[in-house]
Amino acid sequence: MSGTPSSISGTKRVASAVVGVLLSVAVVGVVGLTLHAVSKDPHKKLYATKESETIVVDGKTYPKANITMGVYADKEQASEDGYEGQKNDWVQYGPSNHIVLPANTYVTMTIHGYDGGESLNSPFFGKVIGTIGNVVNIDGQDVSELGMEEVQHTFTIHSLPSSDRDPLFINVPLKKVLEDDNGWVPTEDPVTNFKGHTMTFSFLTKGAGEYVWNCQFPCGDGTYAKFGAAMSAYGYMSGKVTVA
Amino acid sequence: MTTLDQHASVRPIPNPAKSLITKLNMGTGIIVGVIFAAATYFGLKDEDMLSMQQNSKVLLATMFMWSIGFMVGIGAFIGPVRWLIGKDLTDEEQLYLAGDGQGIKRYFKYCTDHKVVGIQYLVGVMTLLGVGGTMAMMIRTNLIQPGSQFVNPAVYNSLVGLHGITMIIAMIIVATGPFGNYIMPIMIGAADMAFPRLNALSWWVLFTAIPVLCSAWFLGGIPTGWTAYAPLSVQAGPGMNAFIATIIIFAVSTAVAGANITATVVAMRAKGMKWNRVPIFVIGATISVALAIPAFPTFMLSMIMTGLDRSFATTFFDANLGGSGWLYAHLFWIMGHPEVYVILIPGVAVLMEIAPVFVRKPLFSYNAAIAGFAGIAGLSILVWAHHMYISGWMPMLNGPFMVTTEMISVPTGLIFLVILGTLWRGRPWMKLPMLGVYAFLWNMLIGGITGLYLSDVPADNYLHGSMYVTAHFHYTLMGAALTGALAGLAYWFPKMTGRMLNERAGYISFWLTQIGFQILFLGMFIAGAEGQPRRVADYSVNFATSDLISTIGAYTIGLGMIILLWAVIHSWRHGKIAPMNPWGAKTLEWTVPYPVPLVNFDTPPVVTSDPYGYGKASN
Amino acid sequence: MSNEHYEMDPTPGEKLKAIFKQRDVQIATAWGVLVTFIFFIIGGWIYPSWMPTALSTDMKAIERLIVIFTWISAPICGIVLGFSIYTFMHRHKGDTPPADGPAIRSNPLVVGLWVIISSALCLVAVVYGLIEMNSATAATAENKTSALVVEVTGSQWVWSFNYPEQGFSSHELMLPVNRPVEFRITSVDVNHSFWPVQLGVKVDANRLQTTVVDTTPNKIGELEVKCAELCGLYHTYMETTGEVMSKADFDNWVTTQGGHTA
Repeated sequence: MSGTPSSISGTKRVASAVVGVLLSVAVVGVVGLTLHAVSKDPHKKLYATKESETIVVDGKTYPKANITMGVYADKEQASEDGYEGQKNDWVQYGPSNHIVLPANTYVTMTIHGYDGGESLNSPFFGKVIGTIGNVVNIDGQDVSELGMEEVQHTFTIHSLPSSDRDPLFINVPLKKVLEDDNGWVPTEDPVTNFKGHTMTFSFLTKGAGEYVWNCQFPCGDGTYAKFGAAMSAYGYMSGKVTVA
Repeated sequence: MTTLDQHASVRPIPNPAKSLITKLNMGTGIIVGVIFAAATYFGLKDEDMLSMQQNSKVLLATMFMWSIGFMVGIGAFIGPVRWLIGKDLTDEEQLYLAGDGQGIKRYFKYCTDHKVVGIQYLVGVMTLLGVGGTMAMMIRTNLIQPGSQFVNPAVYNSLVGLHGITMIIAMIIVATGPFGNYIMPIMIGAADMAFPRLNALSWWVLFTAIPVLCSAWFLGGIPTGWTAYAPLSVQAGPGMNAFIATIIIFAVSTAVAGANITATVVAMRAKGMKWNRVPIFVIGATISVALAIPAFPTFMLSMIMTGLDRSFATTFFDANLGGSGWLYAHLFWIMGHPEVYVILIPGVAVLMEIAPVFVRKPLFSYNAAIAGFAGIAGLSILVWAHHMYISGWMPMLNGPFMVTTEMISVPTGLIFLVILGTLWRGRPWMKLPMLGVYAFLWNMLIGGITGLYLSDVPADNYLHGSMYVTAHFHYTLMGAALTGALAGLAYWFPKMTGRMLNERAGYISFWLTQIGFQILFLGMFIAGAEGQPRRVADYSVNFATSDLISTIGAYTIGLGMIILLWAVIHSWRHGKIAPMNPWGAKTLEWTVPYPVPLVNFDTPPVVTSDPYGYGKASN
Repeated sequence: MSNEHYEMDPTPGEKLKAIFKQRDVQIATAWGVLVTFIFFIIGGWIYPSWMPTALSTDMKAIERLIVIFTWISAPICGIVLGFSIYTFMHRHKGDTPPADGPAIRSNPLVVGLWVIISSALCLVAVVYGLIEMNSATAATAENKTSALVVEVTGSQWVWSFNYPEQGFSSHELMLPVNRPVEFRITSVDVNHSFWPVQLGVKVDANRLQTTVVDTTPNKIGELEVKCAELCGLYHTYMETTGEVMSKADFDNWVTTQGGHTA
C-alpha cells in the first residue's frame, strides 16, 4: 500500500492509544459508579433488635429478635411517624426498605398500617403464609386469612434466585383502615386523628442470605393493574431483607 | 482536516448573505427545540401532573415539540415553505445548503450533501454504539456473580431495555446510514441522493430522537425491555414516554431514509448500470430499506396505541376492558422479525462487496446472492408468530409458522454459498475487512444453527425466553451484522476520511472483539441451556460459572471496541493519507478522489460491466 | 441461474465425480468431515450435559430433539467450516493484493446441489418437529381424563398454585410422579410466562385468558419454577420451588396444606 506515512511518531501514537483507552475505561467506570450510587437504598438499613430471652419451637431453641415497620398512605403520614419519607408522595413502607435480621432466629415483626385500600387481585395474598402458626395478630386478635376487600397492603418476603435454595416465603396481609372503624377520619388533620392497625407476626429465619420483600396489594394507583408508580419504583413498596 | 477543502478553493463559495438559511445550524435548532419543548411543558403542566395520564400527555407532547422545534430551528421547513409561497430557493441558496466550502461547519447544518449526511450518520452510529455498549458493560457487571446487586432491579431493567433499543436503532442504521449515504450514491454513479433535502431531514430527525431516548434515564427508566410488551408498558412510569416518542420519531426518519435510498437506486444509476451490474452492497441496502418501509410503521402504530392507552385511557391492550396484549405482540413482531433482516442484510451485503476485492475473484453467483436476499426478505414477513409459540395465541398455527421459519434457512444457505464460492480457489488477502468475512462465516453459522432449535416448537418450549435466545440473536446481529458493518468501516474508511485506518490497532481490536464475543456468548448459550431466563438481575448459583465466563468475554469486547474507537479517531486525524484506490477495487466509488467533489463525478460515468471482473479467464 | 456452462457437457453425475477428483476439493472435504464428526460427537452429549435433569416425558423429548438437530446441523457446519478453513490456510499476506484468482462466476451444478441439500436438511428438521408436536398433542388428548389439574396464577411478582380437586392453594408446585398434570395458567395483571424448568413446558400467563399445557412428570426430583417473560420490577424474583414426589408424599403434603386427598 502506498501513501504518505503518518506525521506522528510511534511512541506518541502508543501514548495516545494508552491515554485514549484509559480515558474511555474511566468514562465507563464513572457511568457505572453513578448508576451504582443511584441504586443505593434511599435510607439506612433497619436492624432487628435482639432480645436476651429464647424460645423453643418444635423442640429447638431459638434466640428472639424484634423489628417494627410502618406503612403509610403518603409522605405526611410517614413524617408524623418520625421518619423522613421518600422522594415521591406515594404510599410507602418505612423507616427503611432494607431490613436486617439475625440468622436462625425467632423474629417478631410489628407493622403499623395506616392506609386504606380497595381490593386484592388474587385471594391467595389474603392468606397468612409462612409465619408461626400461619397467623398474624391484628390489634390483639389472631387471624389466618383476610378477605380480598379487607386488606390495605401485604408484606411478602421471597427468596432470591441466588439464595442457594434456603427458601423463605412469608405472606402477611395487613388489615385496612376503614373510615368508620378505627377512626381514620381524613379531616384537616389527617395524622393525629387516626390510629392504624397494629399487625404482629413471628417467623423463623434460616441461614444467612439475601431475600427481597414487596407488597402484593395493587396500590400503584392510576396505572394498569395498579402495579405501577409506587409498586414499580424501587424502595417504596419493595426492598431487601438481609439475614446475617 | 487540512485536506478537506481543496476543491472549494477553486470554486466561488456560495454566500447568499441575506438568506435566513445562512444563520441556522444545530445550535439554533437546539435553542428553538428547547423553547418549543419548554413552552409545551409549562403550557400544559397543571396540578394534575401526578396522574399518570396527564403526566404522559404532557411528556409526549413535550418530546414531539422538541423534535419539531429543532427541525424548525435548523431550517428544515424553509424549503417547503418557500416553495409554498411561490419563492423557491435560489440556485445560490441550494448550493449553500449543499455545504460546499463551509468546512467543518457544514456537519452542524441542515446540509444536503450525501457525503456530509454519511459522516453525520457515522458519528451518530458510533455514539449510539458507545452508549449501548456502556450499558452492556453495566449489565454484565451486575451479572458477574450471583447476588452481586451492583445496581437495583429498577435500574437493571432500564439497562436491559435501553441497551436493547439503543443497539437496535444503532444496528438498523449502522450500514445503510454511513455507507448507504456516503458510498452508495457514488457506487451507482449518481451526483447525490434522489431527494437531498429529505436526506438531511432523515438524519436530523434521527438526531432529535437521541436526546429523547437518553431522557428515559432521567424519567425513571423503562421496565419493559426493548420489546415494550403491553400491558407492562401501559403500567410503566414516565420513562416509557421517552421510549414511545423515540420510536415514533425514529420511524419517521427511517421511512424518509428508506424512500430516499430506494428512489435513488431505482432512478439515479449511472448510464449502463443495468440491474445485473449493480454492486451487491447496493442491492442489499435497497432490499433492506425496502423491507423496512412496510415493517416500521407497525412498530410506530403499536407505540401510538401504547401512548394512547397511557395518556388517553384507550384500552387497546387492556384485557380488563376488551383489549388484548396479543394485539401488541402481533404488531410488534410483524415489525420485529423483518427488522432483524433489515439489520442483517446490509451487513452481509458489505461483506459480499468486500470478498471479491480481497480474493481477486468475481462474486460467486450474483444471482444466488440476490435470490438469497430476496428470499430472506420475502419469507421474513411470514414468520413473526414464531415469537409467540408459547404465548397461548392459536397454538394450532405454530406448525405453519414453524415451516415458514425453517424455510428461511434455504435462502440463508445461499448467502453462505455465495461467500464460500467467492473465497474458493482464491488467495484471500488478509486485510482487516477480509478478516470480517471469516468472522461472519463462523458467527452466522452459530447464529443460524441455534436459530434452528429456536424455530422448532418443542425445543422452543424450553429455550424461549432464556439466555439462549439472547445469545442466538447477538450472534446474528452483532456477530454477523455488526462485524459486516465494521469490516465496511475498515474498507471504506480511506474513501470517507482520506486516510487509512490504523492497521495494527484494527487487528488488535478485531481479535479482542471476536474472541471476547465467542467467550461471552458461549457462556450465555450454556446459561440458557441450563435454564437461566433472560433479563434477570440475579440468578441461582448453578449459573455462576457460565455467567462469569460471559462477563469476562464482555469486558474483552469492551476493551476491543475502545481500541477501535481510538483507532478511528486517531486515524481520522493522523492516519496515513490514502491513495485513491487502496484495495484495487472496481466499483465506482474508488474512481473518485478524496475529498470527493460536490457532485461526485466531473463527467458522469458510463458502466459497461458489473464491478466483479476479476480473474483469469474461466477454466 | 444461467445455463451457459451446461451446453455440451457430460451429465451432472459425471461432472460431480470430476469435482470430487480435484485435490483441493478433497482436502476441504476432509476438513469438512472432521468438523462434522466433531460437531456430531459434541452434539450427542454437550446439550444434555448442560440441561437440567429431565423430570418429564416432554423434557426428555426436547433433549432428544436438540441432540438430533445438532446432528442434522453437523454436516452444514462441516461444509461451511471445511471450505472456510481450506481457503483461510491459503491466505495471502502482505501489503499488495494477490494475483487474480480464476474467474469463476457461477456453477449451476453446485448452486443446484446446495439448494437441494439445504432444502432436504430443512425438510428433515420440519418433519421431525411436526412429528414431535403431533405426539405431544396426542398425549394431551390421552391425558385429558386422568390429569391432575393445577391452576397457575401469575401475579406481579409471585406464582401461586391452586389445586381445585384437593381444595387448597400453595406458593410451591408439588406434583405426584407418573400422573399426568394439566396446568391452567392465567394472570391477574401483565404477561408472565410459566416455566417449570425441569418439566420442559412453558406457557405465557395472559390477563383474562387461560392457557392450558400438560405433561407427565415421570421422575422424582426438585423443580424450579420461573417467570420467562419480563414482568416489571421484581421479575427476577418471580420464581419458586417445587418437587415431583411419590404419590404417598404428595398425599401427605396435601394434608399438611389443608387439602383433602381423593
